[in-house]
Amino acid sequence: MHRAGAPLSDVNTSDARRISVAQVLVYELRVRDAMSKPPITAAPTDTLRAVQNLMKARRISGVPISDGDNLLGLISIEDIIRALDKGYIDDRVQQHMTRNVITLRDRFSLVRAVAEFDRHEFGRFPVLDGNDRLVGVLTRGDITGCLMQHLERRAEEALAHEAALRAEGVVDDAADRIVVRTHVRTGDYDSAGGVSQRMRQVLRDRGIDPEIRRRAAVVAYEAETNIIIHSLGGEITATIDPDKVCIEAVDVGPGIENVEQAMQEGWTTAGRLPRELGFGAGMGLPNIKRCSDNLTITSDNKHGTHLRSEIYIHKAGAPT
Amino acid sequence: MKISTRVKFQPLIAALRAEPLTDRVPDELSGSYISDLLSDVLAHAKPGTLWLTIQTHRNVVSVAATKDIAAVLFTCGRKPGGEVIAEAEEEGIALLTTPLTTYEAAGTLWETGFR
Repeated sequence: MHRAGAPLSDVNTSDARRISVAQVLVYELRVRDAMSKPPITAAPTDTLRAVQNLMKARRISGVPISDGDNLLGLISIEDIIRALDKGYIDDRVQQHMTRNVITLRDRFSLVRAVAEFDRHEFGRFPVLDGNDRLVGVLTRGDITGCLMQHLERRAEEALAHEAALRAEGVVDDAADRIVVRTHVRTGDYDSAGGVSQRMRQVLRDRGIDPEIRRRAAVVAYEAETNIIIHSLGGEITATIDPDKVCIEAVDVGPGIENVEQAMQEGWTTAGRLPRELGFGAGMGLPNIKRCSDNLTITSDNKHGTHLRSEIYIHKAGAPT
Repeated sequence: MKISTRVKFQPLIAALRAEPLTDRVPDELSGSYISDLLSDVLAHAKPGTLWLTIQTHRNVVSVAATKDIAAVLFTCGRKPGGEVIAEAEEEGIALLTTPLTTYEAAGTLWETGFR
């Protein structure tokens, strides 16, 4: 559901001045998570009457017209009513369909989709993927249903996670604490930046000094790509408190042979693929060090690497 | 890269023969940075700048978002996939492509007085 793997939890332990889980969800969830798929479509050579019957049978009020997964147009219930009224219900769809259809991309966040519904006042949008293929249809009802489902799951996860933390004695009931945590998979370059992105959103919503936000984002991004490039897999956690951000990256190995050497700019053990993608410049750990107020790294070949970086939040001017 | 003045972007787009790939491009820029190494950009790029690179995969958008970079110019006619463009739209980062090489593009920018 999330591009950096399934988040274990977004825990929010405060009652006051918090970002609601639903608010976080509409940013996190994508159109493709909520849309109805595969889309119910009709062909341009079908009659309007056939589309009317399809709408009745499937209880829908709009049908994308397509040639395979190539979107050609749309017929809405209003088009059908007009056809019945004017007596051309047996005409072919291609004579009467709306051709310039406004679409959504499957990658768009739900918050953007909601904005599009408000702007256009349509009942539904056909959804296209990055290659312009018709992959689904999104209605307001789909969004509500998806949010309800995820809210329920998230609430259960949060309760379970909080209970686990309490058992470990970790929770201090600090007000306004938000924890963002994600599994990171080896070699998953396409997912890099998941925690960083969600953390940036929280920091932006809280009006944190942009320079501090950028430093925290660099640490999270570099730490996450380190796990992707060098480890056998791990987990990254950003704990956002009012006075500091703590980013912890824990992996399962194989460990850094010589931490001191790895901290030197230009030193890298990255292979060819990550280097071709622009990673592995030997600047990851130096970047993390430069952006951290407090940094500890422990590593051995038995337990893997544990990186902990703190960035202090001090009161600053208005965000730019 | 010590630029404090903000520069209008539209005349630069024309000079670079650049094609915007996203719906919106910023009105102004605060400078430019050139690198194909992501960590180098994370270390040195300033917010509000134009980033010139030949890398076109989606981490370019993540890095640009991390550093509040305003726009990314892909040189040598390179273009990212539709997914990358959609993600940039969502992050509010402009993407453009130019047929010029990175060297020619930098020279062009410099000649317009964008320093």
